[in-house]
Amino acid sequence: MDRIDFDRLKTGEVNLGTSIMAVQFDGGVVIGADSRTTTGSYIANRVTDKLTHVHDRIYCCRSGSAADTQAVADIVHYSLQMYSQTAGEAPSVHHAASVFQRLCYENKDQLSAGIIVAGWDEEVGPSVYNIPVGGGLFRQPWAIGGSGSTYVYGYCDATYRDGWGRDETVNFVKNTLSLAMSRDGSSGGVIRMCVITEDDVERLFVPGDELPKFWEGREVLGAPAKAVDHGVVPMAVEA
Amino acid sequence: MAEKGLPLPKATSTGTTIVGCLFKDGIVLGADTRATEGPIVADKNCEKIHYITESIRCCGAGTAADTEFTTALISSNMELHALSTGRKPRVVTAMTMLKQMLFRYQGHVGAALVLGGVDATGPHLFTIHPHGSTDKLPYVTMGSGSLAAMAVFESGWTANMERDAALNLVKAAISAGIFNDLGSGSNIDACIITASHTEMLRNVEMPNQRVTKERSYGFRRGTTAWKTESVRDLIVSEEMTWVGGDAMDTT
Amino acid sequence: MPATISISQPQQRQFNPYSENGGTILAIAGADFSVIAGDTRQSEGYSIQTRYAPKVFQLTDKAVLAVNGFAADGNMFVKKVRQRLEWYRHAHAKDMPLRAIARLIQTMLYARRFFPFYVYNILGGIEEDGTGAVYSFDPVGSYEREACRAAGAAQSLVQPFLDNQIYFKNQTAAPGTSHPVHLPLSTVLSLVIDSFTSATERHIEVGDGLEMYVVLAKGSTAFQTLGGVRGIQELTATEDGEKVFIIRRELKKD
Repeated sequence: MDRIDFDRLKTGEVNLGTSIMAVQFDGGVVIGADSRTTTGSYIANRVTDKLTHVHDRIYCCRSGSAADTQAVADIVHYSLQMYSQTAGEAPSVHHAASVFQRLCYENKDQLSAGIIVAGWDEEVGPSVYNIPVGGGLFRQPWAIGGSGSTYVYGYCDATYRDGWGRDETVNFVKNTLSLAMSRDGSSGGVIRMCVITEDDVERLFVPGDELPKFWEGREVLGAPAKAVDHGVVPMAVEA
Repeated sequence: MAEKGLPLPKATSTGTTIVGCLFKDGIVLGADTRATEGPIVADKNCEKIHYITESIRCCGAGTAADTEFTTALISSNMELHALSTGRKPRVVTAMTMLKQMLFRYQGHVGAALVLGGVDATGPHLFTIHPHGSTDKLPYVTMGSGSLAAMAVFESGWTANMERDAALNLVKAAISAGIFNDLGSGSNIDACIITASHTEMLRNVEMPNQRVTKERSYGFRRGTTAWKTESVRDLIVSEEMTWVGGDAMDTT
Repeated sequence: MPATISISQPQQRQFNPYSENGGTILAIAGADFSVIAGDTRQSEGYSIQTRYAPKVFQLTDKAVLAVNGFAADGNMFVKKVRQRLEWYRHAHAKDMPLRAIARLIQTMLYARRFFPFYVYNILGGIEEDGTGAVYSFDPVGSYEREACRAAGAAQSLVQPFLDNQIYFKNQTAAPGTSHPVHLPLSTVLSLVIDSFTSATERHIEVGDGLEMYVVLAKGSTAFQTLGGVRGIQELTATEDGEKVFIIRRELKKD
């Protein structure tokens, strides 16, 4: 392809600026997302839920165009309901991811959608699938996505370990998203997470003023500067 | 078309401030009443709160024709839906119909909507963007005055407000749009929807009445010049000539 | 997809030194007076920058200048004109005549032929022969003397109204009579107020406040009609010459 789309979003389109993430652990998966939706520099929704239910134990994390990802998720949701009714069993995560992938690949020139599908099924237990913008399909132990993800690849590579339990995985997701949100202007707000296991789906919420804190620059910037009185009178400005 | 040098016709846009907010017993919707064509005011008192069903209403911003037609179409389909299911229709049904239609048109139908109503599952409030994305929130604003109105909501909204407090907040939010956004102006319309009753408050506030002119601009009869004058008689007259000899025998 | 930008194509971006700040100005000349008016709203896009930014400025006791277009250029241009008038006063110990100010403005505008002041000027006042005058300019200095002129955002709404009411265009006089050449001051002030209240109704960039300057020739009889005008304020600096007044009115703020 000699043509690279620099700006895939049409002007005025609602963008899920976004930091999203999904990590598998022994008993299930943890998925998470920030809550910011923007149109240009305006925050259209500061408490967005980007963790979308598509079946009982299968969720997706949406990034890219809000309209496109909602439409795709709605179609998959419908398709999986039809599947479970006709087949008489719950669909596998791979099946759900394949439906997403087919829609994203076959309509790649019309869509801007980066989706992570995660969940639990009878076949393989917990699994995470990444479907980046072109419509590829990759199974990964952990996946990050959205504009904020570029800031935290290094952190994830350095931190992730196999064999974590639930709580360690939740902390990893929470910390990663907090770091991404602090560096990426189009991510922010609160953190929403879901822990999907065989038994249930647990929703977790971290308010914007209780995000994990990391380096904030006080060591470099020092204490807040005190106002110094130089005894200078402001210049008179003509009316 | 526009690229081939043929300029698209300028559509009447409802520059607009529209808002909606959740309160203790339901939903309050609000709108200004100015419609613009570029910098010109096309309509000083238009209606932007559209009827969907008795207990679901929709505020429209963006291209006036698009908001008018999409809401009318969905209103019609909701009525048919109610007739075929035999149930009172739900707000999510209207929301889904609207978002699927707008998504199909890929943003070319320029309707930005605030949809609110009360159904069997309780009060619901949505925004629907022209490309078909939706948000569900307790207080929302849209249109060119949305930033001014949202500033009022972000500082004044609380959960479980009383009806009067909610109406006053909506009035304040629309006023912020009317006075601080050039695309919005004239009067305030509001609509209060509860489980039992829908109250449409057309022109609840009219803070921008026209001032009386200094002079009167009547024109003397005969002011307009003419080149020729012709007066035509509108009464048609016919002359009848008897051609027969004797009168018909009718005995 | 026309809205999609691809990076394989060269892209050009340019800094734009101009903006358009809305508002409207207007001036009407009478037999021995002149009225120069403007609204006070300053806007950019759909935002109001301020509800009170004067666009009409008193230059001398016989000259008032209204500027409309790009506000920053307008303010700088008035500042430069006033500086040139002060130099003239120091050199000649008198105020520059109106027709000379008009010619000065032309040369000052044309001096910036290839980086113009983005402003439409209307100069109103009293000529040396005691007649009321209005001069209107384009941004690069083309000018003419007229009896009335509207400029700015609502020019297309106001000028046809003025043509009809001042020049009596499309009006045939009653048989055996003729249209007046000059209107009395009270009529002119009413027409100016009605022009602005009407423009405020139908143009989103016009509103907030109205400032009308009235310049009277030495010994003008129009002085009497001004006595009853609400909130009038005299701004005359020198005695025994022309007189300058200002009248302010509120306009709708939506």
